[in-house]
Amino acid sequence: MKRVEIRVRQKKGMAILEVEGELDFSNVEQLQQEIQRRPEEVVEIDLQGLRFIDSSGAGMLLSQARHLFRQGRTLRIVGIPDLIREDLEVIGFFRVLEIIETNPNA
Amino acid sequence: MGEVITGNGKILRAYGLEVSGCSLPAEQVGGDFFEFISCDERTVFAVIGDVMGKGFHAARLMETIRHMLRECIRINPHPLEVVRRLNKVGGDELRKCGAFATLCLLCYDGITGRLSCVNAGHHPPLLLSDGKVKVARCRGVALGLLEDYLGSGVEEFFLAAGDAVVLYTDGLVEACGPGEQRYGQERLKEIVRLQNGADADRMRQNILSDLETFIRGFSQKDDVTLVVMKVTGRVGEKGGD
Repeated sequence: MKRVEIRVRQKKGMAILEVEGELDFSNVEQLQQEIQRRPEEVVEIDLQGLRFIDSSGAGMLLSQARHLFRQGRTLRIVGIPDLIREDLEVIGFFRVLEIIETNPNA
Repeated sequence: MGEVITGNGKILRAYGLEVSGCSLPAEQVGGDFFEFISCDERTVFAVIGDVMGKGFHAARLMETIRHMLRECIRINPHPLEVVRRLNKVGGDELRKCGAFATLCLLCYDGITGRLSCVNAGHHPPLLLSDGKVKVARCRGVALGLLEDYLGSGVEEFFLAAGDAVVLYTDGLVEACGPGEQRYGQERLKEIVRLQNGADADRMRQNILSDLETFIRGFSQKDDVTLVVMKVTGRVGEKGGD
């Protein structure tokens, strides 16, 4: 299993999950469970320390974003390293995020 | 359609083309695939894709998507309609499993040399013509992420004898060598540029040898799939098919 470390911080109605390491099919559930566990209105995922993400990681982030927006909450993804941003761009990740923010059932 | 299958590879010689493809799995079987699908006596599809995930689950989903792809081409072979329909029927299947799939679909007319390209969240193909490499501009959202397919539409090119098109999955450009450096699109473009004059199968082998040199035995996280399509002539012409 790849190593991923998640640090949780709280700030006025917001949870910040700092993700470090490699996120892939073997450990993606760890982050998913941590997102699902948060009761806050806004969940921010800080990917600054992420070195690798595979399609399972990208898919999980989108499905969790959809889930939160459906509940009228927000999932924000910040600090995306350039190479990972390029990979996510190819699959249309940011386009999908934009659309589900306004229409989570799209 | 003259297709030769050898291990992980396949070669097609028809429609005034030589097409050579192969898929090399990483540690665990993944969801990469490629297909050559005959449409009529002048038209052929070359498709590459990657279904999210690893193992049995991804492999099963990949088989379902391949089957649906053939069915969509049979119902309406217009390239954009194929992808739209596949996003509807295949997307439902993918969403049920919380998955998505990337796909790049090429449709080639062996009489006119017209190549139509539609992209759903996949790396765009490279085109080699007269020693110059161009990256196709077609973009789109991967299958299963949205109810309706969203993309830049059909991009068209007219190919001449000697022109080549290279399709690949993320496992190739994201392959890591020592120091976690990536193989990357720029290195791929350069090795493709140097292949002017080589046939499709030789081009595919040369690209993979360059990748081997780059990764220097480092074990890789993802499958590598590569398809090279080269125009040999026009359908009905000598040297074509």
